Amino acid sequence: MPGMVSMTQPIQQSFNPYTENGGTILAIAGADFTVIAGDTRQSEGYSIQTRYAPKVFRLTDKAVLAVNGFAADGNMFVKKVRQRLEWYRHAHAKDMPIRAIARLIQTMLYARRFFPYYVYNILGGIEEDGTGAVYSFDPVGSYEREACRAAGAAQSLVQPFLDNQIYFKNQTPAAGTAFPKHLPLSTVLPLVIDSFTSATERHIEVGDGLEIYVVLARNSTALAGLQSLRGVQEVTGTNDGERVFVIRRDLKKD
Amino acid sequence: MNTFLERYSSTNAVSQLKRAQRLAEEEDEFTDSAWGSQAGYGQLMNGPPSFTVPNVPDPSSFLRLHTDDHADPNCRIKIQHGTTTLAFRFQGGVIVAVDSRATAGSYIASGTVKKVIEINPYLLGTMAGGAADCQYWETYLGMHCRLHELRNRERISVSAASKYLSNLVYSYKGMGLSMGTMICGWDKTGPAIFYVDSDGTRLKGDLFSVGSGSTFAYGVLDQGYRWDLTDAEAQELGRRSIYAAGHRDAFSGNTCNLYHVKENGWEFIANYDISKLHYDGPGDVAGSPGHGYGYGIRVQGRSSANPPEATAAA
Amino acid sequence: MSIMDHNGGSVIAMVGKDCVAIASDLRLGDRALSISSNFQRIFPITDRIYVGLPGLGTDVATLRERFRFRVNMYTIKEEREIEPETFAHLVSSTLYEHRFGPYFIEPVMAGMSKTPSGGYKPFIAATDLIGCLNFAKDFVVAGTASSKLYGVAEGLWEPDLEPEDLFETISQTLLNAADRDAFSGWGAIVHIITKDKIITRTLKGRMD
Repeated sequence: MPGMVSMTQPIQQSFNPYTENGGTILAIAGADFTVIAGDTRQSEGYSIQTRYAPKVFRLTDKAVLAVNGFAADGNMFVKKVRQRLEWYRHAHAKDMPIRAIARLIQTMLYARRFFPYYVYNILGGIEEDGTGAVYSFDPVGSYEREACRAAGAAQSLVQPFLDNQIYFKNQTPAAGTAFPKHLPLSTVLPLVIDSFTSATERHIEVGDGLEIYVVLARNSTALAGLQSLRGVQEVTGTNDGERVFVIRRDLKKD
Repeated sequence: MNTFLERYSSTNAVSQLKRAQRLAEEEDEFTDSAWGSQAGYGQLMNGPPSFTVPNVPDPSSFLRLHTDDHADPNCRIKIQHGTTTLAFRFQGGVIVAVDSRATAGSYIASGTVKKVIEINPYLLGTMAGGAADCQYWETYLGMHCRLHELRNRERISVSAASKYLSNLVYSYKGMGLSMGTMICGWDKTGPAIFYVDSDGTRLKGDLFSVGSGSTFAYGVLDQGYRWDLTDAEAQELGRRSIYAAGHRDAFSGNTCNLYHVKENGWEFIANYDISKLHYDGPGDVAGSPGHGYGYGIRVQGRSSANPPEATAAA
Repeated sequence: MSIMDHNGGSVIAMVGKDCVAIASDLRLGDRALSISSNFQRIFPITDRIYVGLPGLGTDVATLRERFRFRVNMYTIKEEREIEPETFAHLVSSTLYEHRFGPYFIEPVMAGMSKTPSGGYKPFIAATDLIGCLNFAKDFVVAGTASSKLYGVAEGLWEPDLEPEDLFETISQTLLNAADRDAFSGWGAIVHIITKDKIITRTLKGRMD
């Protein structure tokens, strides 16, 4: 009797708790720094909800998290990660190392294996040995350490460009020379900005503003060059040695 | 009838998960141990970790609706698929070889995926299907293998480890886990391989290949496989099989990771660029043919359509 | 999975200084299975016009013959070679004739068109599968790797590239885009068209 069934439990025709809010995020690791960037447009379908919704968040002085996908899930996820990091700080009187944050994010995402956070995460920062690190995640928590990763709406536009310019894919070094293993910050920053202006040009969900976080390792050589940049703002919170900076740029708003 | 029965039965996976969720909700959201570093994987004593389940009549069809990219390529959450993995047993141990490509639709999301999961120094697991499922449960398996060592003062057998994993994923059957893995190692019985998948299948065998490119790998593997292969021959066979799959299967490729399990644990042999294998071969390594695997050089000069390079240039 | 992905393949065309370039990968697949690494989908129409036909393999063969027939008829009737602009409209109307049962091809054209003063100027165009023309001033792309091609081309292309620089730009764009696309790759071919000659080069690409 179908009537009996519907009395005991409400019938759900379809339950769709997810929306795609567009945008793109990107992270590149250097020898002693990491750059984590994201545009600031938030959209739903063809409509722009806001031109300034940050997708990149400072977690500690060693770690910055970029989230892309469904904004509500993303914001809640960042909030929960920050809560866990604060508890860790209370228990251990130090900041969680980035490789531990990466594993924490895996378990937090996988705990929602059957009701996933619709979020693509990229974690960037400085490892305990002082090297730049980028960890990228899928929505249910599989992760990997990489040197360079783009995610979100324009990932397929940006990533092959980065393969070519960061990893020198399909290029051959001149005889007797070799490609640098790590690029300097002065090369990486223009590549990040170019990636986003290109993505803005060809993808409707990317644009409005660009927020670039730079995490520097202790005594990073990139410091001097960075401080001379236009509009750079320091957001370091402790005296541990690592320093975090934000650079904001405009992107096309059409 | 079936759905009616399931709704009221108390033993199916869905209702067990829902009950676990209810129990979890009754307590505080976080236990005291969550305040320290014991959070996450650390809480082994409480049994398998608990999961959030959407409050809908059929959680697994909810998950399928939003994640299964075979049924609906436009669904939002893309779980990465496409792989070639293989493992075989021979006189000198176990060879494990995998590709490194992850695809989401036609986009190659990554070419550097580690599809061999190093469970501990004696056990390897391969990754096909859901990347997170394999990573998470095989890490979890590794922790239980360590507990087994501490409790029993000896290493866990490959058979027991694989059965632990198989029972674990079987308890989630029908919930949408996706993994096809080979648990490889060396124990008291010698080299061993067990195939375990998320349906609950667990098979012991000499030779397995899993993933979208497995048919291509089997083709090379079957014609070259013997028990008395030398180490060099066996490593070459593993490389050559992954190359064949990477070459022909659009969803496999980029690089090949090669492992050799011997009596005192596994050894990582090397990472090979599959395109380089095609043009130049594996380089100066044991078992190398000394030239590229591609058929270009094998047909060169044999017909007017394939002139030798020197003539073509002239 | 769309029928446009069935055989895979991508084409790109770019404008340079007194030259144009058109390039394509060489893969023909059957969904995930790669069949051929020597599948030509760029064809010469005249000495100065090339057309690339990414999409369903069977329609590549059919459309190529249809275009050859129509261009031959045009040449006989008009007693002159077809101009790129005219050819683009020929392509467009041929496709639109099948508005409700289209060929699964998104053609890309590149050529040098005659100016009234007797010189030549670069011309590129692309259409969708029912013939909506897109005359771009910089570059056009189509095929399974189109989104990847857009991203790289937008980053690498600049105005007024000399033929050899244009060759490097289009090659790098195609190769790197194809390496992120499961259905494109297995080698590539590039044609550089200038007013008096055509340079054709076959590129080694990733074979996976």
